[in-house]
Formats: sequence, structure tokens, C-alpha cells
Amino acid sequence: MINWLSAILVIGGLIFFFGGSIGIIRFPDFYSRLHPAGKLDTAGQLFTMSGIALYIAQDASLHTFLTAAKIVLIVIFIYITSPTATHAIIDAGVRAGLKPWTKEGQS
Amino acid sequence: MKVLGTLVVLLFGGLLIYGTLDFPSWGDPAAPASTHVSPRYIERTLEETSVPNIVTAVLADYRGYDTMFETIVIFTAGIACLFLLRVIKREEAEARMYRHIPTGITLRVKQRARLPESMEEFERIDLMWVPYDLIVKTGCRLIIPFSQLFALYVIAHGHHSPGGGFQGGVILGASIALYAISTNLRSGLAWFGEKAAVLLCGLGVFIYASTGALCMLLGAGYLDYGALSTLFGVDPVTARSHGILIVEIGVGISVMAVMVLLYYNIVSAGRQDEGL
Repeated sequence: MINWLSAILVIGGLIFFFGGSIGIIRFPDFYSRLHPAGKLDTAGQLFTMSGIALYIAQDASLHTFLTAAKIVLIVIFIYITSPTATHAIIDAGVRAGLKPWTKEGQS
Repeated sequence: MKVLGTLVVLLFGGLLIYGTLDFPSWGDPAAPASTHVSPRYIERTLEETSVPNIVTAVLADYRGYDTMFETIVIFTAGIACLFLLRVIKREEAEARMYRHIPTGITLRVKQRARLPESMEEFERIDLMWVPYDLIVKTGCRLIIPFSQLFALYVIAHGHHSPGGGFQGGVILGASIALYAISTNLRSGLAWFGEKAAVLLCGLGVFIYASTGALCMLLGAGYLDYGALSTLFGVDPVTARSHGILIVEIGVGISVMAVMVLLYYNIVSAGRQDEGL
């Protein structure tokens, strides 16, 4: 049962990663490309990592619990760093004067 | 001249590629590398050094000289970059910017202008100042302590898991660079100054080399950590593991200082007054 749950979580995370990769290639400009790069990676790693943590923690002992706790720490740190980095990059783009893409402007 | 250079490059490239033909094929069990030293390392590392991580044992103990000179290479590179990039002569910039903290008014003060006696209400800001970003600042403040803790763990835990002085030193240096990025270069310099960086750069190499010399004073060969057993009061095998730890700490200090020096000099074009 837990095996299936963790498999579903990992596959869900991979779907997010896949969508993120397509978005980075297909979106038209800098800002919109950073949108999948920042958001979908963060969401994808949440699902993948929680799936792995669930899989490890199913035979309950102190050792597996510690490993799962470390994986949860990884999730927390990526949740702090990844949006901050995306924000800093976009902030730099705005300050450097890059105009967002519009359909009329075509640039 | 260009033709001659191309010819020389092609000739030496061809010779080098010709030389690789004599190499044993990749992973060949009959190759000299896997018949003499590798089995010995794999079989005897744990009983000779009590270090479970064979890579660390080979790096810092069996090939201690190699790693020592690697550290000296990093030290030399850092010092060379310092000499190349650092602008020793202090040329005053044409103007300085000050911000009045209570009101937020920015003043541009020309060179050699008279400043008020009390500067407590003003903070100096860069000429190409951008407002401090609250999100970046808070994110960095959250991350820096943990990354430093992790760096210390990587240095100290190199015996048992991947890691060691080089990796931990880079993470430590990155945390200081992160602080300088999230605030400005002067805050970074106030926290971890240039003199401290240069001193620590040499101190790391000194720790490494003097550990080797200490082993000589205690009557063994250079970098033969087993001789440290009388000093630590443990058996020679455990003393080897302790010796590796001391050496890794030296490497970590040196690498951290070099990384910080490189960062300071590159972002400010060697002037170290204004920059990221």
C-alpha cells in the first residue's frame, strides 16, 4: 500500500519536472521561462522527495526515521532557496530594464 | 607564425593521442594501477588507518604529499590572483554616495568634499546602488548559518562519507560570499576582512605542513601520522585518523580563504571599496 502511494508521489513529481522542462523550452521570454523553472522544480521535488521519504520510513526504526527527516530537511531548504533565487534573477532582469514579452510587441 | 603555431599544436596533439594508444583499456584488471596499489588500498585501509572512506585515506594519508602540494597550488593561485587584481594604490572614486537613514535621502558627495563630523545618521552606499532586497536578504540570512554548519560537517565527516577539506572549504567560502551578495561588499569585508583572509590562506598551508613536520620531530617520516600517537595518547592506527582530520581542517581553512579573496577581488575589480 505504502509502496503504491510513494510510487504515485514520485511519478507525480516527475510529471511536474517534465512540465517544467517543456515550459523552459517552449515559453517565449526570460520571465515566463523562469516561471516553470522556479515553480515546477520546487513542486516536483516536494512530491518526489516525500515519496522517497515515505518509502524509506515504512519499516519504522530510528535509522530510517532519521533518513526520512534528512530528506524532509532537503525539501525545506529547497523551498527557501529556489524561490529566493528565482526572485533575485527576475529582480535583476527588471532592474536591468528587460521588458516582458507581449503578443503585440513580438520582441 | 600562425601556421607554425597550428602545426606545433597539431603535432603535439597527435603525439599525445598516439601516446594514449599504449594505455591499458579502461577498467582492465591486469593494468598496473589495479594490480599493485589499488588492492592494497582496498584491503588494508581500514586496518592501517581506521578510516572507512578509502578516498579520504588515500588522499590525505597514502598520498599526503600530493594533497599538500595541491593545497599549496590553491594558496599560490589565490596569492597570484591577489597580486594581479588588487589595486594597491588608493585612487579615490570621483564621488561617494551617502544615505540619510531616518529620511532615506541620498547624497552624492564629491571627491575631497568636507563631510560632517558626525556620520552616525548616514550609511555609505555604492554608486550603482540598488535597494537591498528584503526577500534575498532574509533568504540568505536563513541559509548562511545552515550552510556553514554543513560545511563544518563536510570537513569533519570526510572520514566516513564523501567530503573533506576542499569541498567544505568551498561551502564555507560560498557562505561568506553569499553574505556579501545579500548586503554589500563592505559588510562582507567588515565581517571577514582581507587581512584575515590572507592570513588564514597561509595558516591552512602552515597547519598541513607543520603536522608533517611534527611527525618528523616525533621520530617518524614526514606526514607519517602514526607518530602522533604519543601526542594524542591513542594507538597509532587511530592517530592516523586524527592526523587526517587535522590536515583536512588545514585544507578547509586555506580553500575558504582563497575563495573569499577571489570573490572580493573579482566583484570590485580589485579596489575592494564598492561592489556587489
